[in-house]
Amino acid sequence: MESFISRYRNLVVLLALLVVQLFGLAVQVRRTTGGSSTLGGADPGAVRLIRLWANAVISPPERLIHSSRMATVYLWANYIDLVHVRRQNQDLEKTVGRLRLEEAALLEDARQGERLQALLGFQQKYIYSTLAAQVYGSSGSDRSHVFYIDKGWHDGLRPDMAVITEEGIVGKVRDVFPHTAQVLAVNDATSGAGVILETTRIRGILRGDAVGQLEVVGVTADQRIQPGEHVLTAGGDLIFPRGLHVGVVKKVVRDPDRDGLVDIILTPAAALDRLDEVLVITSTEPRFSPQQEQDLAASASEESAVPSGIKDQMKASEIMAEKLPGLIDPNLPPDKQPLNDSSNPNPAAQPPQPLHPDEFSPSADDDSGASPEAGSTPKTRNSSAAVNSGGTPTPALKQTPQRNP
Amino acid sequence: MSVLGAEIRRDMEIRRYPLLVYALVPLGALVLQAWLPRVVGQYDWFDLPLVVTIYFALGRRNPLQGTIMGAAMGLFQDALSHNAIGVNGMAKTVVGFLAGSVGIRVDVDNHIIRVLLNFALSLLSSAVYLFVVRFLLGLSVDWNGLTELLRAVGNALIALVLFPLLDRLQVRE
Repeated sequence: MESFISRYRNLVVLLALLVVQLFGLAVQVRRTTGGSSTLGGADPGAVRLIRLWANAVISPPERLIHSSRMATVYLWANYIDLVHVRRQNQDLEKTVGRLRLEEAALLEDARQGERLQALLGFQQKYIYSTLAAQVYGSSGSDRSHVFYIDKGWHDGLRPDMAVITEEGIVGKVRDVFPHTAQVLAVNDATSGAGVILETTRIRGILRGDAVGQLEVVGVTADQRIQPGEHVLTAGGDLIFPRGLHVGVVKKVVRDPDRDGLVDIILTPAAALDRLDEVLVITSTEPRFSPQQEQDLAASASEESAVPSGIKDQMKASEIMAEKLPGLIDPNLPPDKQPLNDSSNPNPAAQPPQPLHPDEFSPSADDDSGASPEAGSTPKTRNSSAAVNSGGTPTPALKQTPQRNP
Repeated sequence: MSVLGAEIRRDMEIRRYPLLVYALVPLGALVLQAWLPRVVGQYDWFDLPLVVTIYFALGRRNPLQGTIMGAAMGLFQDALSHNAIGVNGMAKTVVGFLAGSVGIRVDVDNHIIRVLLNFALSLLSSAVYLFVVRFLLGLSVDWNGLTELLRAVGNALIALVLFPLLDRLQVRE
């Protein structure tokens, strides 16, 4: 036996390593109810530990290289490559002046919009808290479109937080380590996000294909989908807030697997393969500035003015009702109601039956289906009103609490 | 007598490196593999850990060492991705074993042989990866043959440049 192992030592080690890795893979892959295999959403504890160790080994030198590159780029861009900077500066100053004017107008519109949406109780999510992070590395494989950022658990990051840039969405936080985090890019084949075409309002699911292109899959063929149309997040996936820029339609191709459906290939809004800095959306709860809160409070007081007027009117009617006696006391049983009280010296008069009924006379059917007043003549309507001992006419169907004399 | 002579010749041709090289070169390959795609963008048609695995397996002419190094490099790559840990590990384990086995029989100083070996073993690595993912695990995977071909070409070209540089690090007696 010993000679067999020593003779075939290389093969034995090869087989042992392959079998161990195969068992490890079997632990990670699960069968779905549909019979297909899938990787579980969350890693098992041991797998997560291996990822943590690998990240701890690779991250420091990777971040060192990234920092060195950034420092070199910074030095080059800010101290060496300064040709035409003065002219660019003048152009930028003009642009800033123009943008300030535009900003003032837009700010007013934005405040008004926020006010109105808050007042109408929209459930739309807004981005109110983001955290800037540097991208320092990737998985190193085009089969896994993930990248690493230099912020982690201690900075408040949690799994499934959306990651964006100023240009558009980038991905979502997948795995969070103490000081770093792994982000799954939107162009990965296992990624998914709900999107909507801006003009045609056609919805679809965003994912990546084999070569890392962004595509919207599962879309019914529609002639209105044209290259150049903007695609936005739909907001239904509970990760990306709605309305964020995703990309632009590049072309529409037939779905090779399903007839009648097309795949929409997109040009991503963000440069997914050359990211330097990203923003992680850490909160979507509204946090208004003091000025905005002041505006909202003022708007709320204006809004509450109308209902308060209505409330005042209601109070007045209640006060009036309390002063007027009624024939129905909700606190008394039906046989003790003032209307049926035989001890009442002034009982309510029952409407007299017509001697010669015609089509306008109240019938049994009318009484069952319509209100007494609706089928009454003016005369009977007057007679249905009771007169109390004080001679004050009383509304016959009054439901408010009343005080009988 | 002739067998002994062959053994001696083989021992003489086994390359030896300082311990630091065994530690830093694979680490450097892993770090650069994770960092470079951000610089070159979508043109990341290379697999530095695979090239380094092939280099050491060929140079050491030892299937056992090639197997272990391939497994370690592959597992590291898997751990840095979001895929299942072990897929790359299995692919590079096989490649390391074969490179170490082939290294006994071929002239590893010949550049053309090195380049061809890198090309062939890169394609084999992709094939094993696809086999494991699709057939052993039953996972759906988008596959682009052109990308794999370009990666094999990229690995061969990198080997053409990198192997002579790494040769300079070996211990000369």
